[in-house]
Parts: sequence; structure tokens; C-alpha cells
Amino acid sequence: MAVSTIYSTQALNSTHFLTSSPSSSTSKQVFFYRRHQSQTNRRFNTIITCAAQQTVVIGLAADSGCGKSTFMRRLTSVFGGAAEPPKGGNPDSNTLISDMTTVICLDDYHSLDRTGRKEKGVTALDPRANDFDLMYEQVKALKSGIAVEKPIYNHVTGLLDAPELIQPPKILVIEGLHPMFDERVRELLDFSIYLDISNEVKFAWKIQRDMAERGHSLESIKASIEARKPDFDAFIDPQKQYADAVIEVLPTQLIPDDNEGKVLRVRLIMKEGVKYFSPVYLFDEGSTISWIPCGRKLTCSYPGIKFNYEPDTYFDHEVSVLEMDGQFDRLDELIYVESHLSNLSSKFYGEVTQQMLKHADFPGSNNGTGLFQTIVGLKIRDLYEQLIANKATAPAEAAKA
Amino acid sequence: MMSATASHGGVMMLPSPSGALQHQRPPTVTGSDMFRVRRKEPRGLRLVVAATAKYKGTKMREEKLSEMIEEKVKEATEVCEADVRSEECKVAWDEVEEVSQARADLRIKLKFLNQDPLESFCQENPETDECRIYED
Repeated sequence: MAVSTIYSTQALNSTHFLTSSPSSSTSKQVFFYRRHQSQTNRRFNTIITCAAQQTVVIGLAADSGCGKSTFMRRLTSVFGGAAEPPKGGNPDSNTLISDMTTVICLDDYHSLDRTGRKEKGVTALDPRANDFDLMYEQVKALKSGIAVEKPIYNHVTGLLDAPELIQPPKILVIEGLHPMFDERVRELLDFSIYLDISNEVKFAWKIQRDMAERGHSLESIKASIEARKPDFDAFIDPQKQYADAVIEVLPTQLIPDDNEGKVLRVRLIMKEGVKYFSPVYLFDEGSTISWIPCGRKLTCSYPGIKFNYEPDTYFDHEVSVLEMDGQFDRLDELIYVESHLSNLSSKFYGEVTQQMLKHADFPGSNNGTGLFQTIVGLKIRDLYEQLIANKATAPAEAAKA
Repeated sequence: MMSATASHGGVMMLPSPSGALQHQRPPTVTGSDMFRVRRKEPRGLRLVVAATAKYKGTKMREEKLSEMIEEKVKEATEVCEADVRSEECKVAWDEVEEVSQARADLRIKLKFLNQDPLESFCQENPETDECRIYED
């Protein structure tokens, strides 16, 4: 439950407090109505500004901290505009800003820098290396429309640099290892996503990522994954039970004994009953469907495409799971698939395809990772628009009372 | 890769970033110019244009990160010889991961997003050493 802070204004003669109705408890809303204007009070004016701010907060959890630049680009491009680092600031800033969204890297809330972690013997995955109090305070402030001076963790030097000023955006995305770890921060999230990469795929991706570096070998990559696994399993993995949507990335089942990790099986696990979020479905909501689009109307090249949709339970929650195994080879395959999916929250026919094409060069553009990231982007837009519409009607209702 | 021409790593929607590439092609008139032309492009040349740093400062960061990866892998291998389950071993490999990811992020920014992290800093401070244009 969100906690509402009420600012008192003893200087004014008569003031009414109208708080938001219980239904819109996900973000705080304080509405002031004055009968007599005695004197202009700066603090009072500031509070009116706060009440107008509708920041939607999205959490994204992933292993490689804030490396999800292409995921972020996909998410933010649904709203239009490119997400870029803050202009004129620290060039090692991890923050991305576009018209509607600001993406904050949670590594900025490290309480220990690289040297500090070495001394204490804790990895970055360990909660002891992170300042959750500060994370909570600042996310709460941004959500209420208050700008914050957020620290910067410099990944090159491993030091904590001077803070940067972050203005409250319309949509705030907090990305990193621990967005859902702290309960108070969890409460502030309007929507949360967990990117769950299976061990085999993680290994394959890290090989692709690191093999070109002269310092690395197959052994070093393997050793690094193994060494981080205990902390990862203890601190990061459990967060997935709290996520509204989990994108699970697994090796394909279409090619026997494939270990290259190039063809992927991706599952979009969507929690049922989340406010403003209606899961995508195939053909018939709540039923179980297995679908291979390749056939007479659509020719696909090897290994083809296979879809699955079914209701399931995930950590005691009811969920709907949409799964795609295989790859898109051509534009018409993507359009064909899009035309058979329902509840996409797209604004026009072919919007998903258009968004995928915009970033055709990004990794994952030809499989479920790109497809589901794009769909999640549309869902977030839908959630945002519903939240805003809801907030707009609530004060009108309260004023009538 | 999604591409009508099936060219490796093909970016079919975006115009070519470098004027230099124009000179390589014979002039063609049709609307599918961009597609056909991209197939003929020498792949190595286009990758160089898309994936390298623009400013000296960024190039220095790339090299520094690559060196750090090498150093830290050596360190981790040594530390873990004693006890592979010790805290020191975990922390050492975590550092390797952190630096490897930072290196990859920089590569992604330059290659896919065409953003040199020093871009806006160098607009304001073009005279600093870091902001000298990197020449190969």
C-alpha cells in the first residue's frame, strides 16, 4: 500500500484536504481546495505543483545491471523520442533521458564503491553493497514530483562520483539488480519486469560478449558465472516472484542439442489481476493453444516458429504465459504473427511490427526477446495512459462530494 | 537478422552515416537504391565507421576497460587458486563481470546507438584533450 504524506499549512485560514480514493492507491495524490485565500504561501504553491505530477514508476530487474540499453531503447521508443544521457553532465553517467521517460541505473545507489566492496568482501549483488534507504527516498521523491540529487556510480573508475540533478519525469524506469528487493521500493512500482535468462543462454551470451576481449577465455567466462551464482541465486533471483511480467529466455526446443544460444525460446509470463495490465493472448483467452504459423499461408525457413499460450501458476500467482520459440526471417512472418495476437494494446494494426523494424539492427529483433520487449513497451504505455485518465477523473469526483 | 536483403548485420532503414561510402558506389537511380547498394558495401569498412569511438577520450576509456579486464581476470584466477569459494574469489570475479559489462555497454552504445558518451561534454568543451577527434 502506498503511504500518503500530508503537508500541513497552518498559515492558511481554511483548507480542505481531499485524499485520493482507495482504488487509486498505487500513487499518492493530495488535493488541496481553498475557500479563502489569506496570503500567498510559497510552500502551499509548491504543494499544488506536486499534486499535479503523475509519475509512473517502472522497475526492471536484470543480471547485467544497467546494460539493457537496447531494451530501454525499445521501451522508450514506444513513447517516441530517443533516450540519451543527460547533456553536459558527467560523461560516465548511467542515466538516460527522453521526452517522457527517465531511466535510472540502480548501481548509482551502491553504498560501497569497488574498493569498499573488496575490503568488505561483498559483491555488487549483495544487498550490503547498496543503500536501499536512499533508493527508497529518492524514488519516492521523484514519484511525488520532487527533483533529486542522485549519486553516480562510475563503472569505469569504480568510484562514486558527484551527484547529478534528476528532474521528475512522466515515466521513471529504475533498472538494475535490485529494483524489487526492498519492500518499500516495491510498493512504489506501478509495474515491474524481471528478465530471467537461463544459465545456458547466459553462458552463450557472455561468450558472445567477452570472447573478443584479449583478457577472456572460455574458462574465465565460466568461472565468473560460477563465482557469482551463489549471490545471484540468494539475492537477485527471488525478486522474480514479485514481478508483474517475467521475460524468460531459454534455449530453443526446435533444434536438438543446440548449444549456440542463437535460436531462443522466450516466455512472457504475465501476472493476472494486475491493475491496468491486461495480458496478451493467442486466439482464446485463458485456454491452452499450441500454434505453428508456418504452413500453407506462411513459409518459414529452418527452424521455423512455434507459439504456445496457456494459463499457469507462478509462485502461487495465476499467470498467463505466451511463448515463442524460433526466429523471424522476414517481415511478413512478423506481421502474420502480430495479426493473430490479441490484447496487444497497440494503437493501430502493425504497430508491433513497425516498432520492431525501427530497431531491426538490435540484438533480439528476430526472436521473442525483441517481440516481447516491444509488447511490454506497449503495455506500459497503456498502463500509463489508464493511470493518467484515472487521476484526471478522481479529483473531479472528489470536488463534487 | 530481420532484413529483406539478408545482408549480415544489415541496417535497412537508416541512411549511411558516412559520406565516404558514397564514393564507392556507381550512381544508381531507382528507389530500391539503398537496399541494393548496401549489399555491395564492403562489410569491413562499414563496421569501422559504425563501431569506433569519435573522441580520443572514448577511445582511451575503451582501451582502459580492455586492460582492466585482462588485469582483473589474472587477479581473479590467482586469488581463486587458494579457495574457489572464498569471499575474495567471488568479489574478484564480480569485478571482472562489472568491467566486462562496462566494456560491452560502451561497444553497444557506439555500435547500435551511434552515441559517443562524450558527445555532449565535447560540444561544451571542444578544446580539452579528451575531445580531440580520434584518428586511426
